[in-house]
Amino acid sequence: MSASSLATEALAVFAKELRSELRSRVAVNSIGLFGLTTLVAVAYQIGPYQIHEQDRPHLLAAMLWIILFFAALSGLQRVFVKEEDAHTAKTLRLAARPLAVWAGKLLFNVALLAALQAFLVPLYGVLMGMQVRGVVPLIALLAAGCVAMALTATIVAAIIARASGSGTLFAILAVPLMLPLLVMLIAGTRVAMTSPRWSDVLPALQGVGALAGVTLVASVYLFPVVWHD
Amino acid sequence: MTDKAAIGFWHWLVGAWMLLVIYGAFFYAPTAQGFVGESARIVFFHVPLAWVAVLAFCVNLWTSLRYLARRDPLDDARAAAAARLGLVFSVLATVTGSLFAKVMWGEFWNWDPRQISIVILLLVYAAYFALREAIADEERRGGLAAAYATLAFVTMPFLVFVVPRIYFSLHPDTLINVRGSIDMDSRMLQVLLAALVGFTGIFVWLYTLEVRLARVLIERQQREES
Repeated sequence: MSASSLATEALAVFAKELRSELRSRVAVNSIGLFGLTTLVAVAYQIGPYQIHEQDRPHLLAAMLWIILFFAALSGLQRVFVKEEDAHTAKTLRLAARPLAVWAGKLLFNVALLAALQAFLVPLYGVLMGMQVRGVVPLIALLAAGCVAMALTATIVAAIIARASGSGTLFAILAVPLMLPLLVMLIAGTRVAMTSPRWSDVLPALQGVGALAGVTLVASVYLFPVVWHD
Repeated sequence: MTDKAAIGFWHWLVGAWMLLVIYGAFFYAPTAQGFVGESARIVFFHVPLAWVAVLAFCVNLWTSLRYLARRDPLDDARAAAAARLGLVFSVLATVTGSLFAKVMWGEFWNWDPRQISIVILLLVYAAYFALREAIADEERRGGLAAAYATLAFVTMPFLVFVVPRIYFSLHPDTLINVRGSIDMDSRMLQVLLAALVGFTGIFVWLYTLEVRLARVLIERQQREES
């Protein structure tokens, strides 16, 4: 079968996920509300005036990614867990090729994270008084972080969907794998807040890109095994 | 030579070798400059422990990939044994590193990037065992654990090589430093290399024991099922 038919299948899976989410809105609600609640708690307790000027880039960058990270964790595993819970996984195995299922679910998780970022990051900027000198490098970091986090979350979600206690297991398995990513994203965001130059943000972007790349390759090889196991 | 005799000989060889390493570490290698007292001698134990931990995780990856290709339960047992030993050696590397940190910088834990990296590595492989415990079906457990082990391994270079270089680190230069050279006295280097061989020997011994035990258990289970 050709690559275009694989892309068509993947888009069909993505459309199915989107339709299903628009009906139930479980993932959007959990991710959005978790992110919003955490942001309000942080803004209320710390706010823009409680942080010393020299600590601002480091603390604001760290808090932004921690909020995004834990909000993402609360909803990203649903893509596979819900198929097992609803006993629709077997039908999906017959209806689409493993790679198409993986790509469709990945696209959905990327879209979910991008929506979360589009909603949360400007709000965070306003509430926390976050000033960014390198806006375009920050957007590139957010985009790279979104894809890299979705890649790890999607393959881990596929693994835990077949195990018992999948909700808690997702956090146990995904958090250590995503921590190096988080470290690089925080470092890059801190630099983007203080410098408009691409060259300063580039090492972090390269690190995130490399991690996303190896996770992508590993996922492509591992997903068919995980899906049919 | 029978298997039992060969294993006995191996144990004695590793034991004698390690005695020489311990003697060399304390009496043959000179005192390193730029460190508090004799604290730098811990390098002869800390570095090999960290090396063996990485070696164990490499073995875990190799046996996991073999399991995915052949579905032999013994490969799954080999992967679990390697990960278990990797965890033990990582904990020992963390403990020896903390002892060095206490002597050099006054605190057991300094939130140094390398300390954090090894803790994340411990969490990754602890999660591997949490996953194994959560799956009752043996074949599914083997497949999913092997997939997670592969995924975990690809993040390891970022933890070991990338993250520690993003932030300032108190950690002394690694054995082969960023200049690509080994800045170490020749006698110290001899002891360190001997220690690397010795600790690798201990790993091979423990790993062989675990795999032999797993083989016996698998054979008994197959006998009971047939």
